[in-house]
Amino acid sequence: MGKIFKLLGLALVLALGIGLAVVAGDYGPWYFAWLVGTTMIVLIAAAGAVLFDTQEAATSGEA
Amino acid sequence: MPLIDPSVVDLSRMQFALTALYHFLFVPLTLGMTFILAAMETVYVITGKAIYKEMTQFWGKLFGINFAIGVATGLTMEFEFGTNWSMFSHFVGDVFGTPLAIEGLMAFFMESTFVGLMFFGWDRLSKPGHLAITYLTALGSNLSALWILIANGFMQNPQGASFDPVTMRMQFTSFLGLVFSPDAQAKFVHTSIAGFVAGAMFIMGISAFYLLRRQHVALAARSFRMAALFGVISSMAVVTLGDALGRLDYLVQPTKIAAIEGLWQDSNAHSTVAAAPWLLFALPNDATQSNSFEIGVPYLLTPLVTHSENQVIPGLITQERMAGPRILDGIKAVNALQAFGARHDAADLAAFQASEGNMGYGFLAQRNAPNQDLKLITPANQDAIVAQTERDIVPNVFVTFWSFRLMMFLGFYFVALFAFASYYSLRNELMKHPWLLKATMWSIPLPIMATEFGWITAEAGRQPWSVFGWLPTFQAASSHPVGYMIFSLIGFALLYSSFIAAELYLMFKFARLGPQPHHDAPEEPGMSPMFARAAE
Repeated sequence: MGKIFKLLGLALVLALGIGLAVVAGDYGPWYFAWLVGTTMIVLIAAAGAVLFDTQEAATSGEA
Repeated sequence: MPLIDPSVVDLSRMQFALTALYHFLFVPLTLGMTFILAAMETVYVITGKAIYKEMTQFWGKLFGINFAIGVATGLTMEFEFGTNWSMFSHFVGDVFGTPLAIEGLMAFFMESTFVGLMFFGWDRLSKPGHLAITYLTALGSNLSALWILIANGFMQNPQGASFDPVTMRMQFTSFLGLVFSPDAQAKFVHTSIAGFVAGAMFIMGISAFYLLRRQHVALAARSFRMAALFGVISSMAVVTLGDALGRLDYLVQPTKIAAIEGLWQDSNAHSTVAAAPWLLFALPNDATQSNSFEIGVPYLLTPLVTHSENQVIPGLITQERMAGPRILDGIKAVNALQAFGARHDAADLAAFQASEGNMGYGFLAQRNAPNQDLKLITPANQDAIVAQTERDIVPNVFVTFWSFRLMMFLGFYFVALFAFASYYSLRNELMKHPWLLKATMWSIPLPIMATEFGWITAEAGRQPWSVFGWLPTFQAASSHPVGYMIFSLIGFALLYSSFIAAELYLMFKFARLGPQPHHDAPEEPGMSPMFARAAE
Protein backbone atom coordinates (compact mmCIF):
# COMPACT_ATOMS: atom_id res chain seq x y z
CA MET A 1 0.00 0.00 0.00
CA GLY A 2 2.83 2.35 0.94
CA LYS A 3 4.52 1.70 -2.40
CA ILE A 4 1.31 2.51 -4.27
CA PHE A 5 1.03 5.84 -2.45
CA LYS A 6 4.69 6.56 -3.19
CA LEU A 7 4.17 5.78 -6.87
CA LEU A 8 1.01 7.90 -6.97
CA GLY A 9 2.88 10.74 -5.28
CA LEU A 10 5.72 10.53 -7.78
CA ALA A 11 3.22 10.37 -10.65
CA LEU A 12 1.53 13.49 -9.29
CA VAL A 13 4.88 15.33 -9.08
CA LEU A 14 5.63 14.23 -12.65
CA ALA A 15 2.22 15.40 -13.91
CA LEU A 16 2.63 18.72 -12.09
CA GLY A 17 6.10 19.11 -13.57
CA ILE A 18 4.85 18.47 -17.10
CA GLY A 19 1.90 20.84 -16.57
CA LEU A 20 4.21 23.52 -15.22
CA ALA A 21 6.60 23.04 -18.15
CA VAL A 22 3.75 23.41 -20.67
CA VAL A 23 2.40 26.59 -19.03
CA ALA A 24 5.83 28.09 -18.38
CA GLY A 25 7.03 27.21 -21.88
CA ASP A 26 4.01 28.93 -23.47
CA TYR A 27 3.69 32.02 -21.31
CA GLY A 28 7.07 32.42 -19.71
CA PRO A 29 9.94 31.12 -21.82
CA TRP A 30 12.58 32.66 -19.53
CA TYR A 31 10.89 31.24 -16.40
CA PHE A 32 10.90 27.86 -18.11
CA ALA A 33 14.58 28.31 -18.99
CA TRP A 34 15.29 29.08 -15.33
CA LEU A 35 13.52 25.92 -14.15
CA VAL A 36 15.34 23.70 -16.62
CA GLY A 37 18.67 25.53 -16.31
CA THR A 38 18.76 25.57 -12.51
CA THR A 39 18.00 21.85 -12.39
CA MET A 40 20.79 21.23 -14.88
CA ILE A 41 23.29 23.43 -12.99
CA VAL A 42 22.56 21.61 -9.70
CA LEU A 43 22.87 18.19 -11.33
CA ILE A 44 26.13 19.06 -13.09
CA ALA A 45 27.62 20.36 -9.82
CA ALA A 46 26.52 17.14 -8.08
CA ALA A 47 27.94 15.04 -10.92
CA GLY A 48 31.24 16.90 -10.51
CA ALA A 49 31.39 15.82 -6.87
CA VAL A 50 30.67 12.19 -7.74
CA LEU A 51 33.36 12.34 -10.42
CA PHE A 52 35.78 13.73 -7.82
CA ASP A 53 35.15 10.71 -5.56
CA THR A 54 35.62 8.35 -8.50
CA GLN A 55 38.90 10.03 -9.45
CA GLU A 56 40.03 9.92 -5.83
CA ALA A 57 39.17 6.22 -5.54
CA ALA A 58 41.14 5.54 -8.72
CA THR A 59 44.13 7.51 -7.37
CA SER A 60 43.98 5.61 -4.05
CA GLY A 61 43.87 2.34 -5.99
CA GLU A 62 46.97 3.33 -7.96
CA ALA A 63 48.79 4.30 -4.77
CA MET B 1 -0.54 71.45 -6.73
CA PRO B 2 3.06 72.56 -6.02
CA LEU B 3 5.80 70.05 -6.82
CA ILE B 4 7.80 68.31 -4.11
CA ASP B 5 11.03 70.06 -3.07
CA PRO B 6 13.74 68.70 -5.46
CA SER B 7 16.15 68.30 -2.53
CA VAL B 8 13.65 65.96 -0.85
CA VAL B 9 13.30 63.96 -4.07
CA ASP B 10 17.09 63.67 -4.36
CA LEU B 11 17.43 62.65 -0.71
CA SER B 12 14.62 60.09 -1.10
CA ARG B 13 16.38 58.65 -4.14
CA MET B 14 19.67 58.59 -2.26
CA GLN B 15 18.07 56.84 0.70
CA PHE B 16 16.40 54.20 -1.45
CA ALA B 17 19.59 53.65 -3.46
CA LEU B 18 21.59 53.33 -0.24
CA THR B 19 19.22 50.83 1.41
CA ALA B 20 18.74 48.83 -1.81
CA LEU B 21 22.47 48.64 -2.56
CA TYR B 22 23.24 47.67 1.04
CA HIS B 23 20.49 45.02 0.97
CA PHE B 24 21.80 43.65 -2.29
CA LEU B 25 25.20 43.00 -0.75
CA PHE B 26 23.49 40.06 1.00
CA VAL B 27 20.84 38.87 -1.47
CA PRO B 28 23.04 37.33 -4.21
CA LEU B 29 24.73 34.97 -1.74
CA THR B 30 21.35 33.82 -0.43
CA LEU B 31 20.04 33.19 -3.95
CA GLY B 32 23.08 31.24 -5.04
CA MET B 33 24.28 29.43 -1.95
CA THR B 34 20.94 27.75 -1.28
CA PHE B 35 21.07 25.84 -4.57
CA ILE B 36 24.74 24.89 -4.05
CA LEU B 37 23.81 23.58 -0.58
CA ALA B 38 21.01 21.58 -2.22
CA ALA B 39 23.52 20.11 -4.71
CA MET B 40 25.91 19.15 -1.87
CA GLU B 41 23.14 17.56 0.16
CA THR B 42 21.89 15.69 -2.92
CA VAL B 43 25.33 14.05 -3.20
CA TYR B 44 25.20 13.25 0.54
CA VAL B 45 21.79 11.60 0.25
CA ILE B 46 22.77 9.65 -2.88
CA THR B 47 26.26 8.52 -1.82
CA GLY B 48 25.84 8.52 1.96
CA LYS B 49 29.33 10.04 2.38
CA ALA B 50 29.56 12.10 5.56
CA ILE B 51 31.92 14.65 3.98
CA TYR B 52 29.00 16.02 1.93
CA LYS B 53 26.89 16.42 5.04
CA GLU B 54 29.81 18.26 6.64
CA MET B 55 30.09 20.47 3.56
CA THR B 56 26.36 21.25 3.59
CA GLN B 57 26.48 22.12 7.28
CA PHE B 58 29.65 24.22 7.08
CA TRP B 59 28.59 26.29 4.07
CA GLY B 60 25.08 26.34 5.53
CA LYS B 61 26.45 28.08 8.61
CA LEU B 62 27.99 30.85 6.48
CA PHE B 63 24.75 31.06 4.50
CA GLY B 64 22.83 31.41 7.79
CA ILE B 65 24.91 34.41 8.89
CA ASN B 66 24.30 36.09 5.54
CA PHE B 67 20.59 35.25 5.54
CA ALA B 68 19.91 36.59 9.04
CA ILE B 69 21.55 39.95 8.37
CA GLY B 70 20.20 40.15 4.80
CA VAL B 71 16.59 39.74 5.91
CA ALA B 72 16.98 42.58 8.40
CA THR B 73 18.26 44.97 5.71
CA GLY B 74 15.41 44.14 3.34
CA LEU B 75 12.62 45.04 5.72
CA THR B 76 12.99 48.81 5.51
CA MET B 77 12.61 49.08 1.76
CA GLU B 78 9.03 47.86 1.68
CA PHE B 79 8.17 50.55 4.24
CA GLU B 80 10.07 53.19 2.26
CA PHE B 81 7.52 52.91 -0.54
CA GLY B 82 4.94 54.18 1.93
CA THR B 83 7.04 56.68 3.86
CA ASN B 84 9.23 58.23 1.14
CA TRP B 85 7.38 57.36 -2.08
CA SER B 86 3.75 57.94 -1.14
CA MET B 87 2.83 59.51 -4.50
CA PHE B 88 4.30 56.48 -6.24
CA SER B 89 2.38 54.16 -3.89
CA HIS B 90 -0.84 56.08 -4.55
CA PHE B 91 -0.32 55.97 -8.31
CA VAL B 92 0.63 52.30 -8.74
CA GLY B 93 -0.09 50.80 -5.29
CA ASP B 94 -2.97 48.64 -6.56
CA VAL B 95 -0.64 46.92 -9.01
CA PHE B 96 2.74 47.24 -7.35
CA GLY B 97 1.49 46.24 -3.89
CA THR B 98 0.35 42.80 -5.05
CA PRO B 99 3.75 41.30 -5.90
CA LEU B 100 5.24 42.99 -2.82
CA ALA B 101 2.60 41.40 -0.60
CA ILE B 102 3.18 37.98 -2.17
CA GLU B 103 6.92 38.47 -1.68
CA GLY B 104 6.33 39.23 2.00
CA LEU B 105 4.36 36.01 2.37
CA MET B 106 6.97 34.02 0.48
CA ALA B 107 9.93 35.48 2.39
CA PHE B 108 8.43 35.22 5.85
CA PHE B 109 6.26 32.14 5.66
CA MET B 110 7.95 29.91 3.09
CA GLU B 111 11.60 30.89 3.01
CA SER B 112 12.09 31.60 6.72
CA THR B 113 10.16 28.50 7.83
CA PHE B 114 12.21 26.27 5.60
CA VAL B 115 15.46 27.95 6.63
CA GLY B 116 14.58 27.13 10.25
CA LEU B 117 13.81 23.51 9.37
CA MET B 118 17.01 23.28 7.35
CA PHE B 119 19.17 24.39 10.30
CA PHE B 120 17.41 22.56 13.11
CA GLY B 121 16.00 19.56 11.25
CA TRP B 122 19.14 17.50 10.70
CA ASP B 123 18.38 15.18 13.63
CA ARG B 124 14.60 15.38 13.33
CA LEU B 125 13.96 14.68 9.66
CA SER B 126 14.79 11.76 7.38
CA LYS B 127 17.58 12.25 4.85
CA PRO B 128 15.21 12.72 1.87
CA GLY B 129 12.92 14.86 4.06
CA HIS B 130 15.76 17.21 4.95
CA LEU B 131 16.91 17.30 1.34
CA ALA B 132 13.40 18.32 0.28
CA ILE B 133 13.51 21.13 2.87
CA THR B 134 16.86 22.36 1.51
CA TYR B 135 15.43 22.46 -2.02
CA LEU B 136 12.34 24.30 -0.75
CA THR B 137 14.58 26.84 1.01
CA ALA B 138 16.40 27.43 -2.27
CA LEU B 139 13.14 27.69 -4.17
CA GLY B 140 11.60 29.95 -1.50
CA SER B 141 14.47 32.42 -1.52
CA ASN B 142 14.48 32.62 -5.31
CA LEU B 143 10.69 32.91 -5.45
CA SER B 144 10.76 35.84 -3.06
CA ALA B 145 13.26 37.48 -5.40
CA LEU B 146 10.92 36.67 -8.28
CA TRP B 147 8.10 38.84 -6.88
CA ILE B 148 10.42 41.76 -6.23
CA LEU B 149 11.65 41.54 -9.80
CA ILE B 150 8.10 41.31 -11.13
CA ALA B 151 7.39 44.58 -9.26
CA ASN B 152 10.58 46.11 -10.67
CA GLY B 153 9.71 44.81 -14.14
CA PHE B 154 6.47 46.80 -13.90
CA MET B 155 8.45 49.97 -13.18
CA GLN B 156 10.64 49.35 -16.24
CA ASN B 157 7.88 48.29 -18.63
CA PRO B 158 4.35 48.64 -17.18
CA GLN B 159 2.31 45.60 -18.24
CA GLY B 160 -1.05 44.30 -17.03
CA ALA B 161 -2.42 47.65 -15.83
CA SER B 162 -4.11 50.79 -17.13
CA PHE B 163 -4.72 54.28 -15.74
CA ASP B 164 -8.16 55.00 -14.29
CA PRO B 165 -8.99 58.74 -14.59
CA VAL B 166 -11.71 58.46 -11.91
CA THR B 167 -9.49 57.07 -9.14
CA MET B 168 -6.31 58.69 -10.60
CA ARG B 169 -4.47 55.38 -10.12
CA MET B 170 -3.07 52.57 -12.21
CA GLN B 171 -5.30 49.52 -11.88
CA PHE B 172 -4.93 45.88 -12.82
CA THR B 173 -6.12 44.71 -16.20
CA SER B 174 -4.27 41.40 -16.14
CA PHE B 175 -2.39 39.76 -13.27
CA LEU B 176 -0.87 37.27 -15.72
CA GLY B 177 0.27 40.18 -17.90
CA LEU B 178 2.18 41.53 -14.89
CA VAL B 179 3.70 38.18 -13.89
CA PHE B 180 4.65 37.08 -17.40
CA SER B 181 5.89 40.45 -18.63
CA PRO B 182 9.05 39.84 -20.70
CA ASP B 183 10.95 42.37 -18.58
CA ALA B 184 10.05 40.61 -15.31
CA GLN B 185 11.01 37.23 -16.76
CA ALA B 186 14.39 38.23 -18.13
CA LYS B 187 15.19 40.34 -15.07
CA PHE B 188 14.36 37.52 -12.67
CA VAL B 189 16.48 34.95 -14.46
CA HIS B 190 19.39 37.40 -14.93
CA THR B 191 19.32 38.44 -11.25
CA SER B 192 18.75 34.99 -9.80
CA ILE B 193 21.59 33.48 -11.82
CA ALA B 194 23.86 36.43 -10.99
CA GLY B 195 23.23 35.27 -7.39
CA PHE B 196 24.31 31.75 -8.42
CA VAL B 197 27.58 33.24 -9.69
CA ALA B 198 28.09 35.13 -6.41
CA GLY B 199 27.37 32.01 -4.33
CA ALA B 200 29.71 29.88 -6.46
CA MET B 201 32.53 32.45 -6.25
CA PHE B 202 32.09 32.73 -2.48
CA ILE B 203 32.41 28.96 -1.95
CA MET B 204 35.16 28.60 -4.52
CA GLY B 205 37.12 31.54 -3.05
CA ILE B 206 37.04 30.29 0.53
CA SER B 207 37.87 26.76 -0.66
CA ALA B 208 40.84 28.22 -2.55
CA PHE B 209 41.96 29.88 0.71
CA TYR B 210 41.92 26.46 2.44
CA LEU B 211 43.69 24.76 -0.46
CA LEU B 212 46.45 27.37 -0.48
CA ARG B 213 46.94 26.73 3.25
CA ARG B 214 46.44 22.97 2.81
CA GLN B 215 43.69 23.05 5.44
CA HIS B 216 40.42 21.06 5.30
CA VAL B 217 41.52 19.76 1.91
CA ALA B 218 38.90 17.01 1.55
CA LEU B 219 36.12 19.53 2.07
CA ALA B 220 37.76 22.36 0.13
CA ALA B 221 38.65 20.34 -2.97
CA ARG B 222 35.13 18.93 -3.30
CA SER B 223 33.54 22.31 -2.61
CA PHE B 224 35.83 23.96 -5.16
CA ARG B 225 34.90 21.38 -7.81
CA MET B 226 31.17 21.74 -7.23
CA ALA B 227 31.26 25.54 -7.07
CA ALA B 228 33.43 25.80 -10.20
CA LEU B 229 31.03 23.69 -12.28
CA PHE B 230 28.03 25.48 -10.78
CA GLY B 231 29.66 28.82 -11.60
CA VAL B 232 30.84 28.14 -15.13
CA ILE B 233 27.32 27.41 -16.40
CA SER B 234 25.76 30.17 -14.30
CA SER B 235 28.22 32.79 -15.54
CA MET B 236 27.48 31.89 -19.17
CA ALA B 237 23.74 32.05 -18.45
CA VAL B 238 24.13 35.52 -16.86
CA VAL B 239 25.79 36.82 -20.02
CA THR B 240 23.03 35.30 -22.18
CA LEU B 241 20.28 36.85 -20.07
CA GLY B 242 22.12 40.18 -20.04
CA ASP B 243 21.96 40.13 -23.82
CA ALA B 244 18.22 39.33 -23.68
CA LEU B 245 17.65 42.27 -21.32
CA GLY B 246 19.62 44.59 -23.62
CA ARG B 247 17.46 43.58 -26.58
CA LEU B 248 14.35 44.16 -24.48
CA ASP B 249 15.58 47.61 -23.46
CA TYR B 250 16.07 48.42 -27.15
CA LEU B 251 12.39 47.59 -27.74
CA VAL B 252 10.75 49.17 -24.66
CA GLN B 253 13.27 51.55 -23.01
CA PRO B 254 15.13 53.15 -25.94
CA THR B 255 16.57 55.98 -23.81
CA LYS B 256 18.12 53.44 -21.45
CA ILE B 257 19.80 51.42 -24.18
CA ALA B 258 21.10 54.60 -25.86
CA ALA B 259 22.54 55.72 -22.49
CA ILE B 260 24.08 52.27 -21.90
CA GLU B 261 25.80 52.49 -25.29
CA GLY B 262 26.73 56.18 -24.97
CA LEU B 263 24.80 56.83 -28.17
CA TRP B 264 24.05 60.55 -28.59
CA GLN B 265 23.62 60.35 -32.38
CA ASP B 266 21.81 57.59 -34.30
CA SER B 267 23.83 54.43 -34.82
CA ASN B 268 24.18 55.21 -38.56
CA ALA B 269 25.32 58.83 -38.03
CA HIS B 270 29.03 58.25 -38.71
CA SER B 271 29.03 54.92 -40.58
CA THR B 272 26.66 52.40 -42.12
CA VAL B 273 24.21 50.76 -39.70
CA ALA B 274 26.08 47.46 -39.86
CA ALA B 275 29.48 49.07 -39.21
CA ALA B 276 28.38 51.05 -36.13
CA PRO B 277 31.05 50.63 -33.44
CA TRP B 278 30.39 49.29 -29.97
CA LEU B 279 32.14 51.58 -27.50
CA LEU B 280 34.69 49.78 -25.40
CA PHE B 281 35.72 53.04 -23.76
CA ALA B 282 34.37 56.60 -23.78
CA LEU B 283 33.84 59.51 -21.43
CA PRO B 284 30.25 60.65 -21.97
CA ASN B 285 29.58 64.29 -21.15
CA ASP B 286 25.95 64.87 -20.20
CA ALA B 287 26.24 68.66 -20.40
CA THR B 288 27.60 68.83 -23.95
CA GLN B 289 25.78 65.64 -25.06
CA SER B 290 28.92 64.14 -26.59
CA ASN B 291 31.66 61.61 -25.83
CA SER B 292 35.40 62.07 -25.49
CA PHE B 293 38.19 59.52 -26.02
CA GLU B 294 35.97 56.99 -27.80
CA ILE B 295 37.47 53.56 -28.50
CA GLY B 296 35.01 51.39 -30.43
CA VAL B 297 34.86 47.96 -32.00
CA PRO B 298 33.28 48.30 -35.47
CA TYR B 299 30.45 46.05 -36.67
CA LEU B 300 29.49 45.02 -33.12
CA LEU B 301 26.86 47.50 -31.90
CA THR B 302 23.94 46.76 -34.28
CA PRO B 303 23.93 42.94 -33.99
CA LEU B 304 24.59 43.15 -30.26
CA VAL B 305 21.66 45.45 -29.46
CA THR B 306 19.13 44.78 -32.21
CA HIS B 307 20.03 41.16 -33.09
CA SER B 308 19.97 42.27 -36.74
CA GLU B 309 22.33 43.93 -39.21
CA ASN B 310 20.11 46.72 -40.48
CA GLN B 311 18.03 48.22 -37.64
CA VAL B 312 19.02 51.73 -36.62
CA ILE B 313 19.38 52.47 -32.90
CA PRO B 314 18.06 55.99 -32.32
CA GLY B 315 20.48 58.24 -30.48
CA LEU B 316 19.50 60.30 -27.45
CA ILE B 317 19.40 63.59 -29.40
CA THR B 318 16.98 62.06 -31.92
CA GLN B 319 14.90 60.65 -29.08
CA GLU B 320 14.72 64.10 -27.48
CA ARG B 321 13.41 65.50 -30.75
CA MET B 322 10.91 62.64 -31.08
CA ALA B 323 9.63 63.34 -27.54
CA GLY B 324 8.51 66.90 -28.50
CA PRO B 325 5.10 65.95 -29.95
CA ARG B 326 4.52 63.52 -27.05
CA ILE B 327 5.20 66.30 -24.55
CA LEU B 328 2.68 68.61 -26.27
CA ASP B 329 0.11 65.82 -26.34
CA GLY B 330 0.86 64.96 -22.72
CA ILE B 331 0.22 68.56 -21.65
CA LYS B 332 -3.23 68.29 -23.28
CA ALA B 333 -3.83 64.98 -21.45
CA VAL B 334 -2.96 66.38 -18.01
CA ASN B 335 -5.04 69.54 -18.57
CA ALA B 336 -8.00 67.40 -19.68
CA LEU B 337 -7.51 65.10 -16.67
CA GLN B 338 -7.57 68.06 -14.27
CA ALA B 339 -10.69 69.42 -15.97
CA PHE B 340 -12.36 65.99 -15.75
CA GLY B 341 -11.43 65.75 -12.05
CA ALA B 342 -13.07 69.13 -11.40
CA ARG B 343 -16.22 68.83 -13.57
CA HIS B 344 -16.63 65.12 -14.45
CA ASP B 345 -17.53 66.17 -17.97
CA ALA B 346 -17.65 63.53 -20.74
CA ALA B 347 -15.95 65.87 -23.21
CA ASP B 348 -12.97 66.28 -20.86
CA LEU B 349 -12.80 62.51 -20.43
CA ALA B 350 -12.82 62.00 -24.20
CA ALA B 351 -10.08 64.63 -24.58
CA PHE B 352 -8.00 62.88 -21.92
CA GLN B 353 -8.48 59.43 -23.45
CA ALA B 354 -7.36 60.72 -26.84
CA SER B 355 -3.96 61.67 -25.37
CA GLU B 356 -3.76 59.24 -22.43
CA GLY B 357 -0.70 57.38 -23.75
CA ASN B 358 1.38 60.55 -23.41
CA MET B 359 0.13 61.62 -19.97
CA GLY B 360 3.50 60.90 -18.37
CA TYR B 361 5.20 63.37 -20.72
CA GLY B 362 2.70 66.02 -19.57
CA PHE B 363 3.68 65.34 -15.94
CA LEU B 364 7.31 65.65 -17.00
CA ALA B 365 6.64 69.13 -18.45
CA GLN B 366 5.11 70.36 -15.21
CA ARG B 367 8.54 71.04 -13.69
CA ASN B 368 9.33 73.51 -16.49
CA ALA B 369 5.90 75.23 -16.68
CA PRO B 370 5.38 78.75 -15.24
CA ASN B 371 4.57 78.30 -11.52
CA GLN B 372 4.65 74.56 -12.34
CA ASP B 373 1.13 74.91 -13.73
CA LEU B 374 0.53 73.42 -17.18
CA LYS B 375 -2.46 75.73 -17.72
CA LEU B 376 -0.07 78.67 -17.87
CA ILE B 377 1.62 77.28 -20.98
CA THR B 378 0.77 79.53 -23.93
CA PRO B 379 1.79 79.50 -27.61
CA ALA B 380 4.38 82.12 -26.66
CA ASN B 381 6.24 80.04 -24.04
CA GLN B 382 5.32 76.57 -25.30
CA ASP B 383 8.37 75.95 -27.52
CA ALA B 384 10.84 76.86 -24.78
CA ILE B 385 9.09 74.61 -22.24
CA VAL B 386 8.94 71.68 -24.67
CA ALA B 387 12.63 72.14 -25.54
CA GLN B 388 13.53 72.14 -21.83
CA THR B 389 11.41 69.04 -21.18
CA GLU B 390 12.90 67.19 -24.16
CA ARG B 391 16.31 67.29 -22.42
CA ASP B 392 14.71 65.85 -19.28
CA ILE B 393 13.94 62.47 -20.92
CA VAL B 394 17.66 61.58 -20.97
CA PRO B 395 19.07 59.60 -18.02
CA ASN B 396 22.54 60.23 -16.61
CA VAL B 397 24.58 58.80 -19.47
CA PHE B 398 27.99 58.73 -17.75
CA VAL B 399 26.67 56.68 -14.80
CA THR B 400 24.59 54.32 -16.95
CA PHE B 401 27.37 53.82 -19.52
CA TRP B 402 30.07 53.00 -16.97
CA SER B 403 28.01 50.97 -14.49
CA PHE B 404 26.96 48.77 -17.43
CA ARG B 405 30.53 48.37 -18.68
CA LEU B 406 31.92 47.51 -15.25
CA MET B 407 29.19 44.90 -14.79
CA MET B 408 29.80 43.46 -18.25
CA PHE B 409 33.60 43.34 -18.01
CA LEU B 410 33.26 41.57 -14.66
CA GLY B 411 30.74 39.14 -16.20
CA PHE B 412 33.20 38.04 -18.88
CA TYR B 413 36.00 37.81 -16.30
CA PHE B 414 33.80 35.39 -14.30
CA VAL B 415 33.22 33.18 -17.34
CA ALA B 416 36.99 32.94 -17.90
CA LEU B 417 37.82 32.37 -14.22
CA PHE B 418 35.17 29.67 -13.74
CA ALA B 419 36.25 28.00 -17.00
CA PHE B 420 39.89 27.78 -15.83
CA ALA B 421 38.77 26.70 -12.36
CA SER B 422 36.55 23.92 -13.76
CA TYR B 423 39.24 22.76 -16.17
CA TYR B 424 42.01 22.50 -13.56
CA SER B 425 39.67 21.10 -10.92
CA LEU B 426 38.48 18.35 -13.29
CA ARG B 427 42.12 17.52 -14.06
CA ASN B 428 43.00 17.68 -10.33
CA GLU B 429 45.73 20.18 -11.08
CA LEU B 430 44.62 23.02 -8.83
CA MET B 431 47.72 22.82 -6.64
CA LYS B 432 49.94 23.33 -9.69
CA HIS B 433 48.27 26.69 -10.32
CA PRO B 434 48.38 28.76 -7.14
CA TRP B 435 47.77 31.91 -9.25
CA LEU B 436 44.29 30.56 -10.01
CA LEU B 437 43.57 29.84 -6.36
CA LYS B 438 44.76 33.33 -5.38
CA ALA B 439 42.74 34.98 -8.17
CA THR B 440 39.66 33.05 -7.05
CA MET B 441 40.14 34.05 -3.42
CA TRP B 442 40.51 37.74 -4.25
CA SER B 443 37.52 37.59 -6.61
CA ILE B 444 35.01 36.76 -3.84
CA PRO B 445 33.51 40.28 -3.67
CA LEU B 446 33.49 40.88 -7.44
CA PRO B 447 30.18 39.15 -8.36
CA ILE B 448 28.44 41.11 -5.61
CA MET B 449 29.94 44.31 -6.99
CA ALA B 450 28.78 43.29 -10.47
CA THR B 451 25.17 42.89 -9.26
CA GLU B 452 25.38 46.34 -7.67
CA PHE B 453 26.58 47.82 -10.98
CA GLY B 454 23.73 45.94 -12.67
CA TRP B 455 21.17 47.57 -10.41
CA ILE B 456 22.72 51.00 -10.97
CA THR B 457 22.49 50.44 -14.75
CA ALA B 458 18.85 49.35 -14.51
CA GLU B 459 17.69 52.12 -12.18
CA ALA B 460 19.83 55.06 -13.36
CA GLY B 461 18.91 54.12 -16.94
CA ARG B 462 15.18 54.19 -16.07
CA GLN B 463 15.34 57.88 -15.11
CA PRO B 464 13.63 60.34 -15.28
CA TRP B 465 10.76 57.89 -14.69
CA SER B 466 9.75 55.96 -11.60
CA VAL B 467 7.23 54.09 -13.79
CA PHE B 468 8.62 54.24 -17.30
CA GLY B 469 6.61 56.58 -19.52
CA TRP B 470 3.89 57.14 -16.89
CA LEU B 471 5.18 58.76 -13.71
CA PRO B 472 8.29 60.96 -13.40
CA THR B 473 10.46 60.31 -10.35
CA PHE B 474 10.19 63.93 -9.16
CA GLN B 475 6.43 63.46 -8.79
CA ALA B 476 6.64 60.12 -7.01
CA ALA B 477 8.18 61.12 -3.68
CA SER B 478 6.59 62.15 -0.36
CA SER B 479 6.69 65.76 0.82
CA HIS B 480 8.93 65.44 3.89
CA PRO B 481 11.02 68.23 5.42
CA VAL B 482 14.65 68.13 4.27
CA GLY B 483 15.86 67.74 7.88
CA TYR B 484 13.80 64.57 8.32
CA MET B 485 15.31 63.07 5.17
CA ILE B 486 18.89 63.92 6.18
CA PHE B 487 18.35 62.53 9.68
CA SER B 488 16.86 59.25 8.42
CA LEU B 489 19.51 58.93 5.69
CA ILE B 490 22.33 59.25 8.22
CA GLY B 491 20.52 56.83 10.54
CA PHE B 492 20.19 54.21 7.80
CA ALA B 493 23.81 54.67 6.70
CA LEU B 494 25.05 54.09 10.26
CA LEU B 495 22.70 51.18 10.95
CA TYR B 496 23.40 49.39 7.69
CA SER B 497 27.15 49.97 8.00
CA SER B 498 27.00 48.25 11.38
CA PHE B 499 25.19 45.31 9.72
CA ILE B 500 27.94 45.08 7.11
CA ALA B 501 30.62 45.23 9.82
CA ALA B 502 28.83 42.43 11.74
CA GLU B 503 28.53 40.33 8.58
CA LEU B 504 32.19 40.75 7.66
CA TYR B 505 33.34 40.02 11.23
CA LEU B 506 31.25 36.83 11.47
CA MET B 507 32.08 35.64 7.95
CA PHE B 508 35.84 36.10 8.45
CA LYS B 509 35.66 34.48 11.89
CA PHE B 510 33.77 31.36 10.81
CA ALA B 511 35.51 31.02 7.45
CA ARG B 512 38.94 31.16 9.17
CA LEU B 513 37.73 28.70 11.80
CA GLY B 514 36.69 26.24 9.07
CA PRO B 515 34.45 23.21 9.49
CA GLN B 516 34.25 21.85 13.03
CA PRO B 517 34.32 18.04 13.49
CA HIS B 518 31.01 16.49 14.53
CA HIS B 519 31.08 13.80 17.18
CA ASP B 520 28.72 11.57 15.21
CA ALA B 521 30.57 11.94 11.91
CA PRO B 522 33.24 9.40 10.99
CA GLU B 523 36.77 10.75 10.78
CA GLU B 524 37.67 12.00 7.32
CA PRO B 525 41.25 11.93 6.09
CA GLY B 526 42.91 15.31 6.49
CA MET B 527 44.39 15.20 3.01
CA SER B 528 42.72 13.90 -0.11
CA PRO B 529 44.95 11.25 -1.80
CA MET B 530 44.90 13.22 -5.06
CA PHE B 531 45.99 16.38 -3.29
CA ALA B 532 48.50 14.53 -1.13
CA ARG B 533 50.20 13.35 -4.32
CA ALA B 534 50.14 16.87 -5.78
CA ALA B 535 51.67 18.22 -2.58
CA GLU B 536 54.59 15.77 -2.62
